[in-house]
Amino acid sequence: MRNKLGRSIGVVAVVMLFLVGAACVAAAAEKPIVIGAPLSTAFLYGWDAERGIKLAVEEINAAGGVNVGGKKRPFSAEVIDTRDLEPAVPISDALLGLEKLILDKNADFIIGGPVRSEAALAAMDLLNKYKKISILTTGALTPAYHKKVAENYDKYKYCFRITSHVIVMANEFVTLLSDIKKGHGFNKVYIMVQDVAHARGGGEAMKKMLSASGWEVVDMKVYPTGTTDYSMALNDVAKSQADIIFLWMDMPESAILLKQWSNMKLKALPMGFVNAAEQPGFWKATEGKGEYLIVNLVNGGNAPAKITPWTMKFASAYEKRWGLEPEGYGTSSSYMAVYTLKEAIEKAGTIEADAVIKALENVNLMGVYGRISFDKASHQVIASDDPKTGAVTGIIQWQKGKRVQVFPPKVAEAKILLPPWMKK
Amino acid sequence: MDILVYGIINSVTLSLLSLGFTLVYSISRLPNFAHGALYITTGYFIWLFLNGLGLRYPLSILLGIALAGLIGAMTYRLVLIRIRGMEISEIIATYAIGLAIIEGLRWGGLRGTTFTLPSFTSGSRDILGVNVDDQRLLVVLIGFAVFAILYLFVRLTRNGLALRGIAQDERAAMMLGIDSDRMAVVSFAIGSSLAGLSATLILPLGNIVVEAGYSVLVFSIAVSVIGGLGSWMGAIIASFIIGFAQILTEKFLSAHFQMVIALLAIIITLLVKPSGILGRQKELEERV
Repeated sequence: MRNKLGRSIGVVAVVMLFLVGAACVAAAAEKPIVIGAPLSTAFLYGWDAERGIKLAVEEINAAGGVNVGGKKRPFSAEVIDTRDLEPAVPISDALLGLEKLILDKNADFIIGGPVRSEAALAAMDLLNKYKKISILTTGALTPAYHKKVAENYDKYKYCFRITSHVIVMANEFVTLLSDIKKGHGFNKVYIMVQDVAHARGGGEAMKKMLSASGWEVVDMKVYPTGTTDYSMALNDVAKSQADIIFLWMDMPESAILLKQWSNMKLKALPMGFVNAAEQPGFWKATEGKGEYLIVNLVNGGNAPAKITPWTMKFASAYEKRWGLEPEGYGTSSSYMAVYTLKEAIEKAGTIEADAVIKALENVNLMGVYGRISFDKASHQVIASDDPKTGAVTGIIQWQKGKRVQVFPPKVAEAKILLPPWMKK
Repeated sequence: MDILVYGIINSVTLSLLSLGFTLVYSISRLPNFAHGALYITTGYFIWLFLNGLGLRYPLSILLGIALAGLIGAMTYRLVLIRIRGMEISEIIATYAIGLAIIEGLRWGGLRGTTFTLPSFTSGSRDILGVNVDDQRLLVVLIGFAVFAILYLFVRLTRNGLALRGIAQDERAAMMLGIDSDRMAVVSFAIGSSLAGLSATLILPLGNIVVEAGYSVLVFSIAVSVIGGLGSWMGAIIASFIIGFAQILTEKFLSAHFQMVIALLAIIITLLVKPSGILGRQKELEERV
């Protein structure tokens, strides 16, 4: 009797093992959904996005893949280097890269870039031509991107952006600066920006908004990509007794500016959108001279923080997979774009473009940096200062070698500190 | 006063960046378009010796500069010697070597903002009422020292005099027993070491990014063309013209025209005086 029971259990176990195995083989045998990622991989916004995308793809595939109308299909990621963040690389090169992903690599969806605003805008027509859905996750911050979608929905409906843009960021900065003004009595700002579309746009927007909210904007300097000396402007900052140096730069050389600021012990607090200061390695690279710098990482979760239950889970998974903390702008948004796409495909039950567009327009997903949902007319992710209602920013300050979330207040983990030479 | 102080700093920095390029051309009449690549390679070698092998900083610097010199000498000995005299081929070969080095470094992982060299000194001081980084001050002091050493080298040493001889009249120098190829190797070694030395002084101000290799090359060409191809003194004068023009542009116009100024200066020089400020190469043609 016992032998019979044992044999039956054995047979059932073997059959179940076979069925599970067969299911796994079937899932693995299903044609992968190809995500094409056009990224400027030699730069932070490219390689961190690549890592974010690959991490999400690996996690989703390990959990069985994407349920497309009852069939489990894995994701696969194809990355191409668009080089569009390099100075003097023509936009046409980035577009060729995107076209190669679509035609040669048979990408079903595009996630990531092109990274430079000018290239991302030019790519919109190409996405329409091939009817490929794209979720922009990194680099391009120009408001023109989602405005183009809203103005010509039928043509540009394939374009979504899961990351913030200049206007939202400028508003966040103005709110943060108002708090600082109240706390410390500051009222003079000196603006220094890079000569690229999003930075010029950001600088101009800040100039207008700060002037309108009672700040005295002393000057605004525009620097070409690759500038290695900021002495003249920093000397002007000292002379004008500006309280804040507002920066908008994505070039690696902006680290030089921070070193010069620290060496000169300028009595002006630096803050802004500074690519070089986003990475965990910035502290060592500047020998700690970047302390007190306030940086907008665009989306929460690009540095470890307790924004939603998923934020620290993501930060730990990223560190385990890549050996360092989430690195900066493009990391959390690229990771979330893959999960958002998965959600939309599963809701649509197909990878057919029009159905997935509708599903993306109705996405409502609590993600790494708050609730992810898109404006139906412009396909821009809805921003908020509360993670329960929308996507929140990640504004951090470098404090004792760590990137500490200081804004928005609902998810802030510390107060803003002033350098010792600024204390009255 | 800030125009004067920052103008001098900017000008000496430009001189240092371009001196190696000018020296090579003045002696061997070869345009070393790999100059910018050697600049950035030296920075990367030093970083590697310091962080990868754990060597001391001074030793890493010496090894980095020596390696740059060696690469320069090998470039001539292995490649350029075979195509010497074919001007277009010389340009293509050196540019291709530079491109291969830069793109090789990028492919090898030199990307991002975290590759940095320690500053020799931190802090700043007031010079004539203008605040200046100590490191930039050091660049100026060492820059002037390098000009002086080079001046003495080419006037007081046997090799230096041989280099001058070749630069003035290659055929006559050869008739006096000076080996033209040997001197070209020496000039490439010294020129590349100068690129390495400038990297050692300037890169600690910021970070080692491969794109800097291209801008160093552009500025070197600008300085050499304006100063007069092959003229050391002309290159130094041109560095001061471009250096001050950039500072004045930043002060009175806008910083983002700085590169435009350098390129515009090349065009104006080529239109008005193609031989450059102190260049002799085309003077006769110009008179004709």
